[in-house]
Amino acid sequence: MTNPAAKAPAWRKALAPRAAGVVYAFIALLAVLTITSSAQGRPSYLSSVNLSNILEQSALIGILAIFMTVVLISGNFDLSVASTAALAGTVALKLIDGNGTFVAVLAAIACGALVGLVNALLVQKVGVNAFIVTLGTLTAVRGVVQAILDGKSITAHNTALLDFSTGRWELPVAVALVIGVALIALAVVLAVRSGAVREKLVAAWPLWLAGLLVLAIAGFRPNLLDQAVPVWIMIGLALVASLVLRFTVIGRNLYAVGGNAEAARLSGINVDRYKMGAFVLNGVLAAVVGVLYAGRFNSVDPTVLTGGELTVIAAAVLGGTSLFGGSGVVVKSVIGTLILFTLSNGFNVLNIGSNYQNVVQGTVLVAAASLYTATSQRDRALFRKRVARKAPAEPAPVLTKTGA
Amino acid sequence: MSSDPGGIPPILDVRDVHKVYRTGTHALRGVSMRVRPGTVHGLIGANGAGKSTLIKILSGAQTVSDGEIAWRGSVTEWTSPSQALADGLAAVYQHMPLVPSLSVLDNVFLGHTGSLRWDRARRTRELAELCDRVGYPLDGDDLVGDLSIGARQMVAILQALARGPALVLLDEPTAALSPSEREILFASVRRLRDTGTTFIYVSHFLDEVLDLTDHLTVLRDGLVVLDAPTASTDEAALITAIVGSRLAAFEAEAPVAARSLGEVVLAVEDLASGTAFGPLSFDVRAGEVVGVAGLLGSGRTELLQALYGADRAATGSVTVNGRGRPRGPQQAVRRGMALVPEDRARQGFLADWEIWRNISLPDLPRLSWRRMFPHAAREREQARQAVDDLGIKTQTIDSKVGDLSGGNAQKVVFAKWLYGNASIFLLDEPTAGVDVGAKSDILHLIRRLAARGAAVLIVTSEFEELIGSCDRILVLRRGALVADLASAETDVHEVTAIASGFGSHGDHPLGRKAAVS
Ligand SMILES: Nc1ncnc2c1ncn2[C@@H]1O[C@H](COP(=O)(O)OP(=O)(O)OP(=O)(O)O)[C@@H](O)[C@H]1O
Ligand SMILES: [Mg+2]
Repeated sequence: MTNPAAKAPAWRKALAPRAAGVVYAFIALLAVLTITSSAQGRPSYLSSVNLSNILEQSALIGILAIFMTVVLISGNFDLSVASTAALAGTVALKLIDGNGTFVAVLAAIACGALVGLVNALLVQKVGVNAFIVTLGTLTAVRGVVQAILDGKSITAHNTALLDFSTGRWELPVAVALVIGVALIALAVVLAVRSGAVREKLVAAWPLWLAGLLVLAIAGFRPNLLDQAVPVWIMIGLALVASLVLRFTVIGRNLYAVGGNAEAARLSGINVDRYKMGAFVLNGVLAAVVGVLYAGRFNSVDPTVLTGGELTVIAAAVLGGTSLFGGSGVVVKSVIGTLILFTLSNGFNVLNIGSNYQNVVQGTVLVAAASLYTATSQRDRALFRKRVARKAPAEPAPVLTKTGA
Repeated sequence: MSSDPGGIPPILDVRDVHKVYRTGTHALRGVSMRVRPGTVHGLIGANGAGKSTLIKILSGAQTVSDGEIAWRGSVTEWTSPSQALADGLAAVYQHMPLVPSLSVLDNVFLGHTGSLRWDRARRTRELAELCDRVGYPLDGDDLVGDLSIGARQMVAILQALARGPALVLLDEPTAALSPSEREILFASVRRLRDTGTTFIYVSHFLDEVLDLTDHLTVLRDGLVVLDAPTASTDEAALITAIVGSRLAAFEAEAPVAARSLGEVVLAVEDLASGTAFGPLSFDVRAGEVVGVAGLLGSGRTELLQALYGADRAATGSVTVNGRGRPRGPQQAVRRGMALVPEDRARQGFLADWEIWRNISLPDLPRLSWRRMFPHAAREREQARQAVDDLGIKTQTIDSKVGDLSGGNAQKVVFAKWLYGNASIFLLDEPTAGVDVGAKSDILHLIRRLAARGAAVLIVTSEFEELIGSCDRILVLRRGALVADLASAETDVHEVTAIASGFGSHGDHPLGRKAAVS
């Protein structure tokens, strides 16, 4: 019955374009930009200043992409994040001069939680489609922002938020070295414990690659250890979210709920709680992003972050997150964000007309989605497609489930 | 191997077909088979033997890895079901690909390219004729998603017949059908065969196969182990061919030993749900296996769903292990209930998940460190145990459940509940699509569970199976509890008669509380 030779080993799966494509794409993009800019005699594209720039520009959208991925994994969809962030930023700046930083931030986050809760209730309890609900809150919340601001931009005098979100924080080199070594050691320990050392070591490439990267940065580019606070927040949240999704019952259940809600429910999982929790969490983090964004210039105007939700979703899709729930990896969504911002940064640095920027971004997005679909398990995709011509049993996925 | 009397050229000639899936599973290892026109050709074998794979290859949904298929004398090059359909070959798959959001009418005529214009009146007429011919009434306006699983199966069959094909492939069409629906299907298969249509028929029900088919091919592990006219075989020979070395496991079980029953763990009083069923009252004791016999539409599936808290509209009182009616599946699980649902693909498993993650799903906290951090090694250990206990046929526990054969997927759904602390099992057609050997394994397992003190409630259309494995049988008809029989004192005929409304218990539903045997 079996043919062991044909069975794809774990490491091959881990390195397949479907699993690691976004990483390859990011590396390739950096390589192309580096070569082009040096061919044109410009300063090195990979300079610490430029890399820090990209990170700083990506940080806020990156945070949104992390929690958008969580919502997508749970099988829902949230278009309202950018409006929610705008509302939170507006509320924070409105209140900060009169009521102090603490109250302002708390109120902003409460607004975010409220929008998330409204989304959650309408989608899970009333049963309206998530796309429609959040399209509604996208519009309505933006309307609230416009009503509060009445067409004008506002600026706060209290600079606490400004100081916080434009502050920088430096990771000591020694700590970075320890982290790098620890990551590599962890990969080795995991591999040794599982027996099949070489195979597992290759399969655990994200761990030791991250470790090597940290070591390299600590050794050769210590300047990169000095980053803006939002960048550190993004890294921290991505780490925590990954660990929770990967290693806890909560994470496992979330994937189950998104993968097959009915099976999860009959297995005794509280489906509503997970799906609603994802919405509320997304609202809260959108509010945090809004506060950070408002803090950047200590002012907001009615159009702040307009259209941001599309960038966020594009980043998640680039990272291979399925729009049909049940699969997605937050770190990949963050890398997706980095790709998008590297693209626009590259256009600026290389001085190519920004007219083509959107064309290229759109093309990259569709190309990525096609790649994921084309490299999915061919057997079943093909079968589905063929049966589908006669009678589709389920919506043919645009994006492939990349597995938990 | 194939006997070919009469020299009639086969309509379909399968020559040394191999199939290797991308996962490396060698599902068919040189299968040859000749199907003569105007016959019903049975294709049987254990779970994972390769029956569905062969069906998918014949219908163009999968491609061969090696070998060839000749249709009416010429080698085919179909790469999609639509090409096979155009040549007169239609398939009903094991997992029916219907569109739940469309009506029966739309589904039956889906993909017809006769004319560009959708002539609704004509289609309605055609559907009525088709229903007439088959003898199964269906309302063209009903949404397929609202139909019972049996009716959906019939829609899939009508969809295949609507093209007037020369050859129809039926992959376990009766696994989800009630006895009366089965009769209807058999009658129309026979009628169509007599007018020249050819059938390839996959089933795990040997009596059906012996009754209906003209010729039989038995697959085991992707090889043909028997190929003979049906008249020349019998049930014993078939079982040997199907299960091979597993024969030892398939022995008639000694009659259920008199067990001492524990106290009442599931007490149901005046439970009702809308028009589906009720009010019903009955008790189940620890260590007792109770069967619920009823035809489709008798409310049996709805009853299990209501007991499990999955039906918010239900009213009445249920006491589970001394506590009240669960308000949702989550509470039901906490109170020690387990449900094996009827529609496994939709309700039972995650197709994209590995076997081990599916099996540990209901039980994850217990297998986790501090109930929060899953312990993969323990989960995998449990999955390995399940693969052994239930004889799940797979390369590794890392296979995706969506890639398993139908019967093996059913075993995974069952296994989800075996290792936790469930003490009340609600089983909705637990042996649907499971082969003879595995069926007896599962029935053994149910008895072992009961011996351990679990209470088991089984719903199935297999009345014979119920009588063989249950202590007591509740008969449901149109949502009412019409009889409560000790299985030692009844037989299939009585149960069938009562369930369909001809029995001596006739139209007198039992009183409020059915007597506990
Ligand atoms: N899409 C797939 N990808 C990989 N392996 C598959 C796939 N479909 C089936 N298999 C494997 O091929 C083998 C034969 O499966 P098949 O579905 O043909 O069995 P079957 O005879 O129909 O069994 P059952 O009676 O349980 O329906 C099994 O080992 C199964 O795991
Ligand atoms: Mg099958």
